Amino acid sequence: MLRPAILAFAAFLALGHPAAAQDKPNLTVYTYDSFTAEWGPGPALKAGFEASCACTLTYVAAEDGISAFRRVQLEGPTTKADLVVGLDNFIAGDARASGLFAPHGLDLSGLNLPQPWTEADFVPFDYGYFAFVYNKETVPTPPTSFEELIALPESFKIVVMDPRSSTPGLGLVVWIRQAYGDRAPEIWAGLKPHILTMSRGWSEGYGLFLKGEADMVVSYTTSPAFHALTENDTRYAAATFSEGHIAQIEVSGILKSSPNQDLARQFLTYMISAEGQKAIPQTNWMFPVIDLGADLPEAFGAPPAKALPVDEAAVTANRNAWIEEALAAIR
Amino acid sequence: MPRSADSAIPRRPLRLIGGAAVALAIALLVGTLFWSILSAASAQTSSGPTTDIGYLIYITTLQASLSTVLSLVVGIALAWALNRLRFPGRTLVIGLFASAIVTPGIVVAFGLIAVWGRSGWLGGLGVPIFGLGGVVAAHIILDAAFAGRILLARLDAIPEARLKTGQSFALSPLNRFAVIDWPAIRGTLPGLASIIFLLAFTSFPIVLLLGGGPAVQTLEVAIYAAARLDFDLVTAVTLALIQIGICSAVIVAGAALAPVSTSLDRPVTPRWQDAGAARALQWLVLGLALCGFAAPLLAVLIDGLAGLGDVLGDRAFWSAALTSVTVGAASALLALMLGLLVAAARAATTSRIARTAIGAPAYAYLAVPAVALALGAFLFVRNLGIVPDAIAPAIVVIANALLSLPFVMAAIAPPFDAIARSRGRLIRSLGLGGTRQFAQIEWPLIARDVGLVLALSFCFSLGDLGVIALFDTQDFVTLPLLMVRALGAYRTNDAATIAALMLVLTIAAFIALPALFERLSRARA
Amino acid sequence: MLALDHVTFGYGAAPSYDFTLEALAGEVTAIRGASGSGKSTLLDLVAGFLQPASGTIRIDGDIVNDVPPEQRPVSILFQSETLFEHLTASRNVALGLPHPDAGRVAAALAELGLGDLAGQRAATLSGGQKQRVALARTLLRDKPVLLLDEPFSALDDETRATTRSIVQALTRKQKWATILVTHHADDIGAIADRVYRLESGRLAL
Repeated sequence: MLRPAILAFAAFLALGHPAAAQDKPNLTVYTYDSFTAEWGPGPALKAGFEASCACTLTYVAAEDGISAFRRVQLEGPTTKADLVVGLDNFIAGDARASGLFAPHGLDLSGLNLPQPWTEADFVPFDYGYFAFVYNKETVPTPPTSFEELIALPESFKIVVMDPRSSTPGLGLVVWIRQAYGDRAPEIWAGLKPHILTMSRGWSEGYGLFLKGEADMVVSYTTSPAFHALTENDTRYAAATFSEGHIAQIEVSGILKSSPNQDLARQFLTYMISAEGQKAIPQTNWMFPVIDLGADLPEAFGAPPAKALPVDEAAVTANRNAWIEEALAAIR
Repeated sequence: MPRSADSAIPRRPLRLIGGAAVALAIALLVGTLFWSILSAASAQTSSGPTTDIGYLIYITTLQASLSTVLSLVVGIALAWALNRLRFPGRTLVIGLFASAIVTPGIVVAFGLIAVWGRSGWLGGLGVPIFGLGGVVAAHIILDAAFAGRILLARLDAIPEARLKTGQSFALSPLNRFAVIDWPAIRGTLPGLASIIFLLAFTSFPIVLLLGGGPAVQTLEVAIYAAARLDFDLVTAVTLALIQIGICSAVIVAGAALAPVSTSLDRPVTPRWQDAGAARALQWLVLGLALCGFAAPLLAVLIDGLAGLGDVLGDRAFWSAALTSVTVGAASALLALMLGLLVAAARAATTSRIARTAIGAPAYAYLAVPAVALALGAFLFVRNLGIVPDAIAPAIVVIANALLSLPFVMAAIAPPFDAIARSRGRLIRSLGLGGTRQFAQIEWPLIARDVGLVLALSFCFSLGDLGVIALFDTQDFVTLPLLMVRALGAYRTNDAATIAALMLVLTIAAFIALPALFERLSRARA
Repeated sequence: MLALDHVTFGYGAAPSYDFTLEALAGEVTAIRGASGSGKSTLLDLVAGFLQPASGTIRIDGDIVNDVPPEQRPVSILFQSETLFEHLTASRNVALGLPHPDAGRVAAALAELGLGDLAGQRAATLSGGQKQRVALARTLLRDKPVLLLDEPFSALDDETRATTRSIVQALTRKQKWATILVTHHADDIGAIADRVYRLESGRLAL
């Protein structure tokens, strides 16, 4: 019953959309949704790249970077995707192990990153440090460490995200792990009375915070820049923790199955060029991977003084155990 | 007097075949989706679920049971009050209540926070809205108002003669409820309970936002984690099957319970008002309901005013609105067609097993976790050799239609049953064929409910995000997707405005469509 | 003509009912009996809603035992649940005709004195009005056998007399074999051509 209807519908759609690419090659990029949104970096990067490549760039957006990668995994070698844009250092280990990605062959030594980049398969395009964001008017003296946060009265509420469905959620798990090692469950247990809720995604959690429901929210040190630059609202700030902060590094990778290897490499090169990088900070609200000088607004501030390295191999190996111990501590 | 039940209803083999075909197609579809996932997973090794599955099942069942019982109690009270009271703006209030269930859960959750949160209008009262209480409260807002709307239709349909008899006996308000109201709504309760339980059991965004942490979560979060984070499809399918198993038990129990009987009469304006304490209680129920239900929605509307100019001036909004309305209309029509087929078939047999076999699959879809659904549909379409993006609109329409099918059934199946049961012999004696039975007897009776049904499925589709996420492409953006995008890009004002506009569209549909069909059915009868 | 030859019905070894009856075309045959004596069972057997355990039912010589209710050359007026409450009087009557014919519907309603009520929903009619609307539809079907189950019970005396004579006149004119189930002596005295008494599951003249 279903199949003829689907086929008929597909035929109709095929008529409605004559193949977009006539002679020009087409580069298909799987990425996450907010990347392609009109206020995301996608449209500017597409326009800039298409101006010089004599090609068409097509975005296919999934809910988030992991979902885009899972989609490629499901599709296997027959995937339409040439590139995946929007993986990060927490999932890169899984992505490499899938064997779907090809070495990028680019020289990345000039990049400006929280930690030296030796990755052969993935090219970083932005990064940000996880931090608790607060409102300076309602929280005049924010905690300066996890232990200070734990010591605050229980009425001081924070919003965290579920590590199973959200990258900042996973980020917090890894952050506490990197900072406290085996003491992590203890920290989580201490946070428990402060946790207002554990939202599914960053957007809902951040929304709760903006509505004034919580005093702090897990986000990025660059989040206040959005409010300052877009809304002229300088009330928000990111709390600096003495344990140090870990970075999420967003990366892209070329698929082995892509027939457009050169074109894909050209796009990655464009993404880390000065022109490409300029399109990122004020759309993705993350730090650029090259020094943009005066083109990076001051509101972004400096990266945290103390950055904790992320041990990618340890994350890949222990991710589920860490999530379990964190959830168990606050259940 | 001995009388075989089967001779009392017309023989309608075509109807049985039609309904059985729909039921089978749904069952096959669900089966195919799972098979697609499993065959994709065949190469994988499964590490098994890492989460405490037993706890998740326990807490989800507890939460869903509480939500169901309380929603029904509140829904009955609300229907009772609305049935008795007449006041200016009653239609608007009913439309507002009815629209709650199709409002995206996340919108309701934010509305609830805007009222009861610590920075909310009534934040000073210190009502805890995070944790089990908050989740159940949000579900009551979503589901009790819907239950109230459906039950109100049953109460409004009580024949005038029965009311007059009751009035002449000077029944006390309590007796009136027990003798006249309860029999009219009793048959509708099992179906409603199933639906509400399923909605609460599979409610994902609300539970995660208001749950307050891992102590209150749903099984779906574990499925989501298995599919997305661990890419352990075997575990995802296993967990999904556990969820379907629990939900199916509820569906079958609901479908097998007492048959529904409905009056064939159409509503009259009762002039029999309860007096004294009962009337005061009705006003109190209405007042509380307005605060409880309408205030969060009102908060959403007010929140949305800020970004109105920006959003209305945005081409992307209009294009997403057009897509949403088109998808909603197509899903609504499809849901109505499927619902008619299933309801007509179910009424054409008296065998309890056949009724369950035909009716249950209509609900089955609600039990399938959205993650499994999206994943399975994606793989299925790919296995057919179709580019998923090209087929996305069709999949979304089908999925949304199936999602609203239980609601369509809840509204139109009882009238079909009522005609078959109370007038089956008459129809046989008149030698009426199935076509005439439908066109000249059944359609005039359900026509006024068709508006409600279309409004329901239209709005469901309008607010649904579940299926579209995996099929997302540049050209196929719906309003909820646009809202989530805005929320994900710090644009909370835009998101609030889109949420408010969706709410306005929903309420408008709920007031306009039933009124339109009411008028059409008046003109034809 | 309708003929029942030892039509039995009932559960267990000894059938509770054993009906033998002849009703001639153009005549009104009355069945009288106490409540619960099996009058409705008799009508259900003739109309096809019940299957006899043994015996034959003939209409104009043809055995109709296996003919389903839809196809039997019978029109029946039930005692209750006779109308679709949500439809107007005229739409209810129109259901008696195989094809729409507004003229005949209007004429039938007018003949029974219901012309003014054609556009009213059945739910708003009085008991007597409902009964006459249902009768109008049953008469309009014009089948060789007409089964009437207490058709005048809700009518006032005057309407009752008029309605009875309409039934009698049509029975004569259309050569129907009319079965009238009633416990009113008046009705029987006024229009019955022959009378059966139903007692202990048997019919007697």
